[in-house]
Amino acid sequence: MNIKDNLKIITEHWGKINPLKIRDYIDVGGYEAIRKFIEKMKPEEAIEEIKKSGLVGRGGAGFSTGEKWEAVKKNKGEKYFICNLDESEPGTYKDRAIVDNNPHLLLEGIIISALAIDAKKAYIYINGRYIKQREILEKAVLEAASNKFIGKGIINSHYDLEIEIFSGAGAYICGEETALINSIEGKRGEPKFRPPYPTETGLWGKPTLVNNAETVSNIPWIIINGGKKYSEIGSAVSPGTKLYVLGGAVRNSGVFEGPTGMTIGAVIDKLGGGLKKGKELWFSQIGGSSGRLVLENELDNSLTFNKKSEIPLGSGAVFVFDKHSDIYDFLLSIAGFFRRESCGKCVPCREGTFRLYEITERMKDGEISERDKEAIKDILWTLNNTTFCPFGKFAAVAFLDAVEKLKILDL
Amino acid sequence: MEIKINGKKYKANEGDVILDVCRREGIRIPTLCNFPFEEGEFKKETICRLCLVEVNLTDKLVPSCAFPVCSSLEVTTESEKIKKAREINMELLWSDHAGKCVKCKKNRMCELQSLAEEYKIDNFHFIPRKEDLTNTEELDLLKDNKTRVVVEEENPAICRTTEFCIECRRCINVCPERKFGFNHRAGDVIVGTPYEKVLECSFCGECVRVCPVAALTDKNNFSEITEKLDDIKKIAVALVAEGMEEKIKKQLLIMGYQKEPREILKSLGFEKIFDFSEKDAQDEGLDDFKVQLSRKEKINMEDIILFYISSNISLKKEKIANLDYILSEREIARLARDKKII
Repeated sequence: MNIKDNLKIITEHWGKINPLKIRDYIDVGGYEAIRKFIEKMKPEEAIEEIKKSGLVGRGGAGFSTGEKWEAVKKNKGEKYFICNLDESEPGTYKDRAIVDNNPHLLLEGIIISALAIDAKKAYIYINGRYIKQREILEKAVLEAASNKFIGKGIINSHYDLEIEIFSGAGAYICGEETALINSIEGKRGEPKFRPPYPTETGLWGKPTLVNNAETVSNIPWIIINGGKKYSEIGSAVSPGTKLYVLGGAVRNSGVFEGPTGMTIGAVIDKLGGGLKKGKELWFSQIGGSSGRLVLENELDNSLTFNKKSEIPLGSGAVFVFDKHSDIYDFLLSIAGFFRRESCGKCVPCREGTFRLYEITERMKDGEISERDKEAIKDILWTLNNTTFCPFGKFAAVAFLDAVEKLKILDL
Repeated sequence: MEIKINGKKYKANEGDVILDVCRREGIRIPTLCNFPFEEGEFKKETICRLCLVEVNLTDKLVPSCAFPVCSSLEVTTESEKIKKAREINMELLWSDHAGKCVKCKKNRMCELQSLAEEYKIDNFHFIPRKEDLTNTEELDLLKDNKTRVVVEEENPAICRTTEFCIECRRCINVCPERKFGFNHRAGDVIVGTPYEKVLECSFCGECVRVCPVAALTDKNNFSEITEKLDDIKKIAVALVAEGMEEKIKKQLLIMGYQKEPREILKSLGFEKIFDFSEKDAQDEGLDDFKVQLSRKEKINMEDIILFYISSNISLKKEKIANLDYILSEREIARLARDKKII
């Protein structure tokens, strides 16, 4: 493990500072990035640094953050910034951990991101079930405002910014940008047809930048240390560190920070401390409920946000399954999740996830008929190829892998 | 500009979507959420996933109702992949709907039914069969499915039954008063009014006109109407509103029949048929017609059954005196169908 493997960008002060005290954060060098941004940089220079850093969205899609900023920045007039904290992927709680341990780091990132694209208003779209986290953020926003980091004339400059915390109603699909925007506008939480993209026509019809909370938390470090230095961390295709969320049969479960590009084996062994005593690895799921399943012989795959990568990093969740796990239980929980969370807008997803759940229930109870096998094949195909948004594809991923790699069904 | 569809070149205009060109050129693409009629700008929902086609710009199937044309675009409207997508999605829809066609108000006028025929949907392999069910949980699931059905017939003009609804959203988009929306989510989605309240609107009838299935239909007591039309002691009088003949003709064409509306009305049992323009309605008034007729022809008022043949179903709300029934073009077609005239 080289020295950069131990580099902590987001988790550095976790557990050492009181998250409810802004003073603690300032004492360890917090809010210095805002100072640097306001006193020494033009917004364009900041965007240049972010582009240089190679930072990509940590929500799962892996789109270049710098390019997204630029796309919004080049528009004139009113703009909005939204921090996506709707984390609802089962088994993923990295954003919650950020708020729990260092909310001011997130706020600092939000403020810089919003100011860099000339937004005067920023939203934090938080998962409706994160009640404690909302309280922490509310307190943090108040403290930051009384320290002049938010409001009119931020640290006596010409910059203004208002931050509003908006609680979602707990729908998975609202983590998708266009659905999230619908939700803030008071509409039904369901994705919109693109184009137009939110970077041109977003919230209230204005250009809008939506960034994941973890992405945003990287911004202060990049502003202080420069984009070049960030780009040298981790894998070249998607540099930086990543919060891995470990769960299942590993010895240490929880949120860990490590460079991108780690192999799956390294994440399990080095961050997770290997498997629990008496447990034997069967497979693991990478990136939450919508993630791929990987077997033991694939542990050498490195985890990046590369579009071509076999095993996408997704939300960063790594869930390890023991040989004795009940695969049908697992599939039923996944099918149930997607059946519940589908927005119901398009036919294949609404009807397909529902039928898939029905069949999985029968599968769990015992044998299924040849007719059901045909049905599973058809449903997975249509989810994969014809749905309105990627949600349908997500619903099929784990199933397809279970069929192909774990050979649970003779299709 | 020119685009290629199935290897042939066609003219396309800036701002067209693929479906626009195909409709102009008579290239068949099935749609459900999109309007099959050309009647102005309509919101592109792209949710029924039946109009998917292949293009040379991406490996993915794209919705032809929303994909904009561009020069050098090459479109394929029929292929194995497209057929498979349409068949599976049609069957998924059909699985959540099927079973009651013969008794359905929209039998032979239903867009879903004709698509199911076109795509030969017959192997219902998504619906669990009794022998597949192994525990009570699944029976609960089925029951659950039934309890979600909302039937509302308390309003004066429109019957709403979510059992037939395929969630295509045409009514949501067409309603000028925005009375409908999606309630619940995922498989539980139903189209309804806020908080499932009784529909209260001006009853322009647009939603009934565009509904591809029998989820929204005209409200009338049909058995009573057929009884009275057949009753030889009663005289059934039809007042045909302006433009209705055209509409009836169109409606019959949907069912594949080319017949004169007058002939149809006569065979339905209407003894007297009058044209009734809007001017007439103002001059004489609908409520006065029966009185005048009874005086002129010396028939008892009670023996005259007065029908107003009109798309204006909002009149049902007003409860006009001396007017017995209001029938829309859809109901004329339905009566003709039930009487086996067509």
